[in-house]
Amino acid sequence: MRRRCCRPPSLLDALPPQPGDLSESRGPAPAGVNSLAMLGHSGASRPDVASGEYPPSVMAAHHGASRADPASAGHSPIVMAGQVPAIHAPANLPWPGQHLPPLAYPAKHAPANIARHRPAPSLPALLAPAAPRRSLALHLPWLAAERRRVAGPWASWEAERQQRRIAAVDATAAAAGISPGQTLADAQAILPELLVEPAEPMADLAWLRRLALWAQTISPLAAPNPPDGLLLDITGVPHLHGGEAALLNKVVRHLAHLGLTVQAAIAGAPAAAAALARLAPGQITPPGAEAEALSPLPLSALRLPPATAAALHRLGLRRVGDVLRQPRGPLARRFGAALTQALDAATGQHPTPIQPLRPPAAFLASREFLEPLITREALDAVLEVLLGQLCRQLAAAGKGARRLLLLGFRVDGTMQALQIGTGLPARDPRHFARLFQPRMEKLEPGFGFERLTLEARFVEDHAAPQNSLPSQGGLAAEARQEALAALLDRLSQRLPVWRLEPRESHIPERAVLKRDAFAPIGAAAWPSMPRPVRLLRRPLALQVTALLPDEPPLQLRHGSRVWRVQRAEGPERIEPEWWRPGPHPPFRDYYRVELTSGARLWVCRSGAVVPGETSRWWLHGRFE
Amino acid sequence: MAPSPLPDLAPSFDRPAVLAALQARIRRLERGGATAGEVAPIPLCEAIDRHLPGGGLARAGVHEVMAADPGAAAGFCAMALARTEGTVLWIAAEPDAWPPGLSRFGLSAANLVLVQARRPADALWAMEEALRCPGVAGALLVQAEIDMTAARRLQLAAESGGALGLLLRPDAEAEAGSPADTLRPRGSGQAASVALTRWRVGALAGAGGGRHALGDPRWQLELLRCRGGRPQQWHATWQPAAGELRVEGAEEAEPEQHPARRRVPR
Repeated sequence: MRRRCCRPPSLLDALPPQPGDLSESRGPAPAGVNSLAMLGHSGASRPDVASGEYPPSVMAAHHGASRADPASAGHSPIVMAGQVPAIHAPANLPWPGQHLPPLAYPAKHAPANIARHRPAPSLPALLAPAAPRRSLALHLPWLAAERRRVAGPWASWEAERQQRRIAAVDATAAAAGISPGQTLADAQAILPELLVEPAEPMADLAWLRRLALWAQTISPLAAPNPPDGLLLDITGVPHLHGGEAALLNKVVRHLAHLGLTVQAAIAGAPAAAAALARLAPGQITPPGAEAEALSPLPLSALRLPPATAAALHRLGLRRVGDVLRQPRGPLARRFGAALTQALDAATGQHPTPIQPLRPPAAFLASREFLEPLITREALDAVLEVLLGQLCRQLAAAGKGARRLLLLGFRVDGTMQALQIGTGLPARDPRHFARLFQPRMEKLEPGFGFERLTLEARFVEDHAAPQNSLPSQGGLAAEARQEALAALLDRLSQRLPVWRLEPRESHIPERAVLKRDAFAPIGAAAWPSMPRPVRLLRRPLALQVTALLPDEPPLQLRHGSRVWRVQRAEGPERIEPEWWRPGPHPPFRDYYRVELTSGARLWVCRSGAVVPGETSRWWLHGRFE
Repeated sequence: MAPSPLPDLAPSFDRPAVLAALQARIRRLERGGATAGEVAPIPLCEAIDRHLPGGGLARAGVHEVMAADPGAAAGFCAMALARTEGTVLWIAAEPDAWPPGLSRFGLSAANLVLVQARRPADALWAMEEALRCPGVAGALLVQAEIDMTAARRLQLAAESGGALGLLLRPDAEAEAGSPADTLRPRGSGQAASVALTRWRVGALAGAGGGRHALGDPRWQLELLRCRGGRPQQWHATWQPAAGELRVEGAEEAEPEQHPARRRVPR
């Protein structure tokens, strides 16, 4: 309890100063205010914050906390502390107006204004304007070269209309005066020792995506910005690293350590940050000042279509500021809406949102705990509550989950995850609980979980089951289908479960194809010849006696066992499938044989009969 | 007025009706009040159904099938499973069921789900879960040894779920890789069981055809134990073209001579 109480003020101090009534809310327990302020636009667009959903920025705080220095990591949990007012509202939590025990605030954390008791915040104060979004843009000027880790002057080329042109260069080549767009011949004339390779734009993009995955350690809202940049939404993150400047330095230093040259900038709008990172790296633009920061930059910062850029250039508008000063109406008439949209995106009037690699889950439920959870019973109880919440959300949206992720955030800043999957979309909390049950023991609480979050990762449409009349089996057909799907889910959590799909092939091993338990299996067109009911996975080698080498077998022997054949039917020759690649095994002659005992077997001789050599015989299946 | 224990008692004492009502009550008690008892049983063939209580292989119960011949036993099980007309699970350490052959018994690949359970405990768990599920029509477990407690659990699960449970118990020698063996001791696996019926299915040498034609397969079906019925054995021919089982001639071998009649003391 005390641990919690002593934290909020330190966080609020770490936050950038908020305009207006937010400062009014600086009190010991401004739970709702705090969360709303931190939420930014996601809070504004989703009013059900109080039901326990957490915004991306909060998740960012978690990600960051595990990597930040101990001092800032210690501050992180209070960001979440504000998320579930229902839990944080008990009477023993000090509300504004109550006298706070001095013990609760160690001297170094106690800010001056904490002693001033203010009245409880009014509704307008709770609906304070959202904190502005902040974006971090990274620009990797020599991405293509540094990805390949080549030394010396290097350039890649691509073919364009029968001409080879430079696509990307590295720092050395750029210093020698080689730039993308030159013909390859020119470049080699300038720098004969230039190492040239064909461009691999898809590989570059894939690599950029991998870098964006890494960037999720900074903020979960990370996106590649092709061809050579990354965009991160860092709202609510910088205080974990000691401010925006510190965060910027840290990222640049870390990437430099990986051998990457990177330029970075922070601004409100993603487009502005990206432009600054390319042309004026290192800048941190305060919210609302994007227009001034961009004004001195050349027009290429806006990434306009080439025709528009050339036309503006002809008009003498060389810098972003020149264009911004023009009246908007004539600009839009002359150049279309694309130009004004690009300007608005850059100045933050209408910022384009980041499309993160992994979008935040749309359906989630989460709980915060004052006392960390350690026991299995408590975890089970909370899981039940979370499942109930999540399934209600899914039912309201008409969806069913295919994959659920249970995230446990531990007191020591680490995170553990459990994942379950279902074959068909489902939203029955009892079914999910049964799937989670055997896995719960894999959670290691350590000193306890202070937050549990349940996310629905893959969601599909799932119509509400119709309560039809029970048919003769006692249950409706839909209910039976659902029960079967639940059973297959449970079985496949623990054991391999599959169905066999017919495949058009005469080779016995290839006649069926393993599919997952939920795959739809079509009607089969099996060979008209009799086939065994059981097929040995590994054929058994036999020694066979026959009257003549190419006659049906008379006697089978395996090890010390001998069986007499009473009748034999065959042969049925199965040839290898010549249309498939690869070395082909020899053809096989299959016989159906009946032993004196009545047992019916499927035996085959592989390959042609060669005089003087013993044929190879196999037992491959059993008939009924 | 106290409720009458036997409803619909005619004023004149109708002995068959009273007996039938009493038997129905006992069935309900045995089945834990489940409604599954009213579901139609699975027909095998007319001569055998006449002998079985309820007129066929009862659903919502576990039946044991001893495999004197693995192929014939698999065929017999496939026939029973196909006639459940629903989704069927085949649980084994190495599921070797092969749909091209099973389809001749009417068991289509679309209805067949295979489960691989290498450990016996996993296999029993999977079988119990399957039998308890109302969406499953039948389940087959291939396992050599099943103790009484596990078998009882399976029986209870089948009663609550309404599925047909089959325990296919292969002979140890057949597992070791021998295709068939007629000189196997017949006394094995005779321990008391909680299964509704216990069968032994073996192959018989074919009757028709010539030296180079096998003809339809013939089975020796032995009903070793049957709850509410008597042991019996039949020689039957499976006719794939007609999709039915035909019993040959009259029933042979008096039940008294059969080893299953000897109760093994436990």
